[in-house]
Amino acid sequence: MPERVTKNRRWRVRLREAQQGYVLVAPYLLHLSVFFGYPLLFAFVLMFHRWDIVTPMEFVGLKNFWRLMRDDLFFRALLNTGIFLTIHIPLQIVVALFFAELLNRPLKGRGFFRAAYFMPVVVSGVVITILFQQLFAFDTGLINRMLQALGGEPVPWLVSPALAMPSIAIMATWKNVGLYIVLFLAGLQHIPRHLYEAAELDGANAWQRWWHVTLPMLNPTMVTVVVLSTIGGFSLFIEPYILTGGGPLNATLSAVLYIYNQAFYFNHMGYAAALGFCFAIVIFLVVLLQRRFVETDTWS
Amino acid sequence: MRETARKTGVRLEHVWKIYDNGYVAVEDVTFEVAEGEFMVLLGPSGCGKTTLLRLVAGLETASRGTIRIGDQVVNDVPPRDRDIAMVFQNYALYPHMTVYENMAFGLKLRRVPKTEIDRRVRAAARVLELEHLLDRRPHQLSGGQRQRVAVGRAIVREPRVFLFDEPLSNLDARLRVEMRAELARLHRELGRTVLYVTHDQVEAMTLGQRIVVLNKGRVQQIGTPLEVYHQPANRFVAGFIGNPPMNFIEGRLEHRDGLRFVGKGGQVQLMLNAADWPKVRPGQAVTLGVRPEAVALATVEEAAVMRGQVETVEVLGAVAHLYVRIGEATVVAQVDASVRPALAQEVALRIDLDRIHLFDAETGQALPRARS
Repeated sequence: MPERVTKNRRWRVRLREAQQGYVLVAPYLLHLSVFFGYPLLFAFVLMFHRWDIVTPMEFVGLKNFWRLMRDDLFFRALLNTGIFLTIHIPLQIVVALFFAELLNRPLKGRGFFRAAYFMPVVVSGVVITILFQQLFAFDTGLINRMLQALGGEPVPWLVSPALAMPSIAIMATWKNVGLYIVLFLAGLQHIPRHLYEAAELDGANAWQRWWHVTLPMLNPTMVTVVVLSTIGGFSLFIEPYILTGGGPLNATLSAVLYIYNQAFYFNHMGYAAALGFCFAIVIFLVVLLQRRFVETDTWS
Repeated sequence: MRETARKTGVRLEHVWKIYDNGYVAVEDVTFEVAEGEFMVLLGPSGCGKTTLLRLVAGLETASRGTIRIGDQVVNDVPPRDRDIAMVFQNYALYPHMTVYENMAFGLKLRRVPKTEIDRRVRAAARVLELEHLLDRRPHQLSGGQRQRVAVGRAIVREPRVFLFDEPLSNLDARLRVEMRAELARLHRELGRTVLYVTHDQVEAMTLGQRIVVLNKGRVQQIGTPLEVYHQPANRFVAGFIGNPPMNFIEGRLEHRDGLRFVGKGGQVQLMLNAADWPKVRPGQAVTLGVRPEAVALATVEEAAVMRGQVETVEVLGAVAHLYVRIGEATVVAQVDASVRPALAQEVALRIDLDRIHLFDAETGQALPRARS
């Protein structure tokens, strides 16, 4: 009999502990379900429907996907996003590595610079985009006026279809590079000093030490940076939305901007959901490929 | 012979290393390693031995003095042009390269032809029994195997000088003994100049042809293992080398029917042979040093006898160490384990007067002994 009593009590204690646990994680679960779970589920439903927010939802089966396959603008948006990524990611890695190397050296005011480079990361993207709108402006922009003062021709940064996306890529790099500097800095500081000494004794000059020790030892960081900046890059939206609205000639129409336009400009909610779904699959495949090619086998 | 000795020997002249914060790591160090010699730098941690090695490697720059490798002053020569190879304490293998690539790396950078690289790597792998591991990465190897790869990486370079920085300290005791023998064999076979840093006196005694004993950045003594053991230059060397360490008894010298050492408290009194000690003054404060193996149990009353009580007995198999309390001092005697006395037993100890050392109490320097 007493055994049963203690068992019962233990069970009650456990229940109370579990309840406390659920209370503690409740805010997170609530946030997750309202802002991620519900929209995700709703999007799944939407993909197969036509809905303009006002009139009732209408089931259309796979029609949205048929339409998508023949939608040149969507593939144009994918291509634009691809162009953005091919400029943005390598540029970001080179610039971030360069500054990380610099900030990893004994340098006066190192702490200040580390903070300064990180600042754009925490500043709102809208603010930075408006700032660059001023800088990139054709007639009045600071960059062109400086170029002209130096005797150069003004560059149509945002006006030329060929240059608009690269201009946005430069701006996005400027904004995000601080985060990747910090990641690379952590990676660099993780490399044991004696490896450099061994390489020096093995006959490596500074460049060879960097190529044969630093770069391979940074591989785990490199994978993180490539994957993070790919995912970040795929979600390119604020910059073209504010700066160019997708123009000129759809040259800066990013995938997310196109999806946004379909959803909230044309009220094609179902089609936008289908676009979003396909886009998510594209991102997944690209990241899978990147990991395959960037990541060398790991060591401990 | 002298010709070649100039080519690959190492010579340090009045070398100092003072760090920016004023810390003096190496103070006026001078010594020479002959061609093909196995020289050990021995001292407690923080004595500057690793700094000295790094100075020779070029990983640190000397604040003062000159460092020569062969005929060349290398103070301003970068490490890669010094033609030396170093084995690091933690091996410093490149984790992203295979064993083969680790060993080949230095040769590849020096643009040695591929076939030659292959020949040398495979030869070294054979000597070090690494042939079946060439495709592995360092993290797939045991400590002993990594150690051998680190040695292999040094060997394939065929450098003028090998530098070893406590290479065995990360291995377990059994492996350490094995690798010690292996390093000795390698040195015999390759005949290269070796500078070897360790804090382990057993390594120093077994591997070194000569030993530089260091303390607080200064050279204490340079000599063969037996020289530093039997004729320590000062109290530090005497106490650092030997296990269990040398017994030290503080006291003074007196002239009373001959030369006599009187320990503090008076319990220890020894008649010395005045002819052995030409440079002592009566009344001089000295420290008497005697190794445990020069202290024996005495059965009859003799000249050099002390009485005391057994405090501790350590049996090591064939021998036992007796810790005997005599007045204020504890004297360790090494005796045959089969005749060891019981705890707290009153015993008489005899000291072999031919094997005692006297050190000046102030300077710690050994007092010279007349050799017959």
